[in-house]
Amino acid sequence: METFAQSLTSGVLTGALYAMIGIGLTVVFGVMRIINLAHGEMVMLGMFGAFWGQALWKLDPFLSLVLWVPLMFLGGMLLYRLLLRKIIPGGELNTLLYTAGLSLLIANLALFFWTGDYRTINLSYGQEPVRPFGISIAVPLAVAFVVALAITGALWLFLSRTDMGRAIRATSQNGEAAILMGVDVERVAMITFGLGTALAGAAGVLLAPSLYLYPTVGELLIVKCFVIVVLGGLGSVPGAIAGGILLGVVESLGAVYVSSTYKDGIGFVLFLAVLLYRPSGLFGVGK
Amino acid sequence: MRSLAPWLAGAVALAALPVFAPNSFFLHVAILILMWTLLGAAWNVLGGFAGQVSFGHAALFGIGAYVTMILYLKAGVSPWWGIPVGGLVAALASLPIGLVCFRLRGPYFSLATLAVAEIVKLVALNWEAVTNGPVGFLITGLPPLRVFGLAVDWESKLPFYVVAALLALAGLASTAWLRTSRLGAYLVAIRENEDAAEAVGIDTVRAKVMTLALSAFLAGMGGGFYAFYFRYVDPDAVLNISLSMEMVFIAMVGGLGTVGGPLIGAIFLTTVGETVRERFQVGHLIFYGLFMMLAIRYMPEGIWGRARKLFSSLQARVLGHGAA
Repeated sequence: METFAQSLTSGVLTGALYAMIGIGLTVVFGVMRIINLAHGEMVMLGMFGAFWGQALWKLDPFLSLVLWVPLMFLGGMLLYRLLLRKIIPGGELNTLLYTAGLSLLIANLALFFWTGDYRTINLSYGQEPVRPFGISIAVPLAVAFVVALAITGALWLFLSRTDMGRAIRATSQNGEAAILMGVDVERVAMITFGLGTALAGAAGVLLAPSLYLYPTVGELLIVKCFVIVVLGGLGSVPGAIAGGILLGVVESLGAVYVSSTYKDGIGFVLFLAVLLYRPSGLFGVGK
Repeated sequence: MRSLAPWLAGAVALAALPVFAPNSFFLHVAILILMWTLLGAAWNVLGGFAGQVSFGHAALFGIGAYVTMILYLKAGVSPWWGIPVGGLVAALASLPIGLVCFRLRGPYFSLATLAVAEIVKLVALNWEAVTNGPVGFLITGLPPLRVFGLAVDWESKLPFYVVAALLALAGLASTAWLRTSRLGAYLVAIRENEDAAEAVGIDTVRAKVMTLALSAFLAGMGGGFYAFYFRYVDPDAVLNISLSMEMVFIAMVGGLGTVGGPLIGAIFLTTVGETVRERFQVGHLIFYGLFMMLAIRYMPEGIWGRARKLFSSLQARVLGHGAA
């Protein structure tokens, strides 16, 4: 029972971070119908941002969010404006292949400049786990969880309360109708892509103290990310949150009760099963 | 007759190449180009003709490589039998993969193949009894073989060159066959509009599964050849996602859905790859990514496609002048 509670907790904590990566991918898909294969590399860049911030300027990884999130937002908007915008009219498969090329480019540039070494971030306050109700929780993961909740909450408010957020949701539901209602879809697309990139970067920064970081980590993350958004239904934000937490829990329980070596495989099998039998997602909200 | 001429010229050039090869490195590069031609052709059959973008071909390549290796080490089956058997096993394995993944379309199909490849890699990493886990297999010597009474020297590159050339020709020939076959016409119809293809009575799932099996057979033989040439197989070497991406790259840069595209793509890829490897050790994939992006942006029909277009517009202009 104690093991169960323990692995359930760590599953939920990791799941919240997975959810954040998934939301980034899913809003971009919703608005632009782009499946961004380079999304995992954006997470990787966030992780390395946190690492270099600490290594070079003694910046606390969690504080460095303030620096990296706006930068990733700008970078994402530029990427859309300068590169992706011209590719999108060529069709879904072209964009898929294009972002695959982008992902290879970014990951291998990182490999070239930063080498393939496995790195870790050590926090002065991360040594002793906290133990509420006898469940041990690593401090970096707990902090990351709280920040992730705050960011997701803020995003929720942005999407539901502001004009821009409404424009994003409207474009996602029906692009043509949004144009007719006077939404500047080009601008919405650019901001959405910036937002997706910033979310991936933020998740990377938050995950960095809890994971090993290496340049090709994006490969693993992107596949997980697809599992999440497909579980929740492509294009759905609440679906991505549920999918992220579900994947976190399934992985964590699977590692304890099924097999730790096939932990990642459980997610993939779940993914194929959902794609086949519930292609609109477990909650039927995607499209 | 006219269509046979380029094939004859190609075969003569292939046969003449080793005579003029200045050193064994040159021959090594030629072998790599031929191997990648086969793999690019394998991917192109499915991705170029049928428009089904697979990100999981590394799995089929890896299955071929493992089968060839395991048959040799555990059952003593020589690689020249092991390679086609590896291709057959990959084709068999592709049937369930196809039946599952082809229920999905477009990008969803691509994502499903990615997941399948990851599952295959996990199995190879963890099913130690069969695959030897992360360590993989290594062979030190190849069995003696006599061809026309002459002993084959496995330390030289020549026998591998011959095998690679035959495999690459098989890949290109099956693409050429597909292009003029009824199945090929079905595939183009599926690529252009799957619903319309179904509406005119094409059994789209059957056509796609058959094409995947052909593609898997070629990719599996490529894997078998890899195992036999490099004498080394492990999950990271033969089941890596980047292998799938390199196959995509070759077909894409060379020219999707063309017969000669994979050859041009392989020449380009291997030249870039080997040049960069010489200078920087790592990082050739940086250029693959970059060229893939440039190709999609500026030359979506690929090098071969563009060259053919230029050629036919030139021809039209010359003929036009002649008529006037």
